[in-house]
Amino acid sequence: MRMAIQGIGVTGGFGSGVEALEAALRCGKVEPQQGIIERQGTIDTYPLYLASIAALDEFIPKRALRRIDYFSKMTLLSACLALKDANLLEDERSRMGVVLATGYGALKSTFDFLDSYLDFGYACSSPTSFSNSVHNAAAAHVSMYFKATAPSLTVTQFEMSVPSALLTAQLWLAEGRVDQVLFGAIDEHCDVLRYCRKQFFGAAEQGPLQPLQFDKQSAVPGEGASFFVLTREVENVAYAHIDSLQLGNHCVAPISLPAEDLLLVGADGHKECGRWYAQVLQGREAVSYAPLYGSFPAAAGLDLAVAALSLRSGTRYADHALYAARQGLSVAQKLQAEKLSYLKFGPGGDYGLARLSV
Amino acid sequence: MPAVTPIAVTGLGCLCGAGMNLAECMESLFRNDRTPRPPSRFSTDHPVSYPVLELRDEFKLPLDDQKSVYARTSQLALTAALEALADAGWDAESLRGKRVGVCIGTTVGCALNCDDFYRDYKDGTEPEMDIISRFLRSNPAAVIARQFKLNGPQQTVVNACSSGTDAVGIGASWLRAGACDIAIVGGADELARVTYAGFSSLMIADAEPCRPFDLSRKGLNLGEGAGIMILENAQQLGAKMARGYVRGYGSACDAHHLTAPHPDGAGLKQALYEAFAAAGVRPEEISFVNAHGTGTPDNDRVESRVLNEVLPGVPFVSTKGYTGHTLGAAGGIEAVFTLACLQRGEIPANIGFSTADPELPVTPVIRNTRISGRVALSESLAFGGNNAVLILGKGD
Amino acid sequence: MGVKEKLKKILIEDLNLEDVTPEEIDDDMALFGEGLGLDSLDAVELVVIIQKHFGVEIKDMEEGRPAFQTVNTLARFIEERLA
Repeated sequence: MRMAIQGIGVTGGFGSGVEALEAALRCGKVEPQQGIIERQGTIDTYPLYLASIAALDEFIPKRALRRIDYFSKMTLLSACLALKDANLLEDERSRMGVVLATGYGALKSTFDFLDSYLDFGYACSSPTSFSNSVHNAAAAHVSMYFKATAPSLTVTQFEMSVPSALLTAQLWLAEGRVDQVLFGAIDEHCDVLRYCRKQFFGAAEQGPLQPLQFDKQSAVPGEGASFFVLTREVENVAYAHIDSLQLGNHCVAPISLPAEDLLLVGADGHKECGRWYAQVLQGREAVSYAPLYGSFPAAAGLDLAVAALSLRSGTRYADHALYAARQGLSVAQKLQAEKLSYLKFGPGGDYGLARLSV
Repeated sequence: MPAVTPIAVTGLGCLCGAGMNLAECMESLFRNDRTPRPPSRFSTDHPVSYPVLELRDEFKLPLDDQKSVYARTSQLALTAALEALADAGWDAESLRGKRVGVCIGTTVGCALNCDDFYRDYKDGTEPEMDIISRFLRSNPAAVIARQFKLNGPQQTVVNACSSGTDAVGIGASWLRAGACDIAIVGGADELARVTYAGFSSLMIADAEPCRPFDLSRKGLNLGEGAGIMILENAQQLGAKMARGYVRGYGSACDAHHLTAPHPDGAGLKQALYEAFAAAGVRPEEISFVNAHGTGTPDNDRVESRVLNEVLPGVPFVSTKGYTGHTLGAAGGIEAVFTLACLQRGEIPANIGFSTADPELPVTPVIRNTRISGRVALSESLAFGGNNAVLILGKGD
Repeated sequence: MGVKEKLKKILIEDLNLEDVTPEEIDDDMALFGEGLGLDSLDAVELVVIIQKHFGVEIKDMEEGRPAFQTVNTLARFIEERLA
């Protein structure tokens, strides 16, 4: 069953809102910020695509946010932006399901909770940090704030979180369990994650991100959230339709790609996943937009937002690598294909393939 | 909403504090036997020691050296999956070439709460990455798919304490939609210091063996384990016998509070009505309910009120006294128990209950009780206001 | 600083009551429900806060409930325990 994308809300290294993402696509470049961590007397600096949640004040009073952590704030901001974009901020939402995808969950609250007992003893374990660290806390905050009483689901599947969760969103709509799905993808950055990535990837973390150099580790960390208002097929769609979804494992049953479509790949500079794109694409042209927001599992949601924006505007945005190679050329061309396929690989050959069209 | 097609369940697998496989669990349940004790696999400096339901024995994964490869939650999931697949007559070889989905609920299995690693990190040393690497290899649904080289959708559901129930409902929905032909569904969770500290900080852990629905109930005992079912569509099932059916699933969110249930059980009622409609079953056809019954004051009060309103006179039992609260695994384990009890025609006594609470309009069964009928219901209430309900049918 | 003043400051800081000043918290104002507007999750956090800042242990909610009425009752409880 086709799903219509009727509203989008995003936040990431490029800013907040669809307009900010579109501006980044037109200019073809977002400079990462600098992450700084002081630990054991040494200062570690590294490129990082950080999101900002400043725009949340426009939607939600501070008092209502007092117990809500950064992860859920990022979630709420993007959810508000998506509902505003779909003109649904004031609507009744008892038939709106909530589906969230996250690779790692609320990392900061997870470590805040450990801090509470490691620093002060188990009797001082913080129940508020514990509650915020539970993976579905963000979905709960969304449901509570928007009074969305329909089914709620949080999925975590590392790189496959977004395609996997989309499948269930699609079935809920098809079964008539809900009339709309507020679908979100979120991941946050934190110091411990930087430590882990540095241990795993060393100097490669310094970028620049070159996602289409599939055999090269070039991932630069990022964070962000993307939300979509999804409905069943409509006549005049705001962005685009997701026509079909396919999940599987390329090692077990090789994937065959639609021949005509423009290919947007979720390659984000991780070599372990990159090898699968190289194997499947066999030199076929593809685009990737990771250099606009960095690499994190839920960035697959931002990839989808770019796919929807490309189809709505009929534009093929040049990816960063292309832009860098051809300075002076226009970064936006007319989109030739009618359909766009989005392909996301996990490190073990697991894949999600979504086909989109207007 | 029109009723949906029942989905056949062909295999069951389960391990938890009540037993190392389904047969052992059922034996403990009907012997009314439980063994809560202080946690043995980790320690804390907490002034109170809360009893937990750990696995009784060291468990052996009948695979090559997987112990160090996967985190405990995924080992539990794999062990129960192997039991369920064998029960359904499948093995890695015969599954090859099939479209097999995996949908597993968990909480601990996906949280980066590696506190030993983090303690070292905080202390300024450079902890080794093996714990993190293991975490990254241990997504429960992905582990099962990888182990059996499956091609199909995978999903790890993290809806807190209703995860297992949701995973079963979602897997059944995949089969109906043709997303796969076979699905391995259920829940898994290990006992961890982090959840132990978390539930004690919420002051809903009982320092005594838990007492679901009892006047003196003080909270839950944590547990661990996994409960897995194999679902198959009609083509796969062929002439095979079904162990039972997933008849209907419903879920809804209270949208009320982060940690407390809605006082009137609004979301639970909505989930119940959706499950009835999906199953095409009337409340009076339900032969028994496997209640969530954690033993916390709030949960049991809300649940008792809703059961009295929606399913008056229907016998119910919480099996958490035997298993502890296994969080993301609970829905999987209890769905497995529900089908096994339907098959047996009997439900176990609600262990831990002795004195009725005047605030609770209905009370659970106090002794092993014969039941008749072909459908039963299993429900879960979760943190975040999630409620999930499965209606399960008796096998052929 | 007296126990009451310290309590008010800690409540605001640790429960993130950014829009309230210590002066606005009346000694006899209800902490839960109407009044300061705290709820059940704040109650268990308050147990940790009292333990952390005053070294006073509250074993369960039955013990905490009578103390958790107002700043006055809570201060008295803490003072009695510390005496």
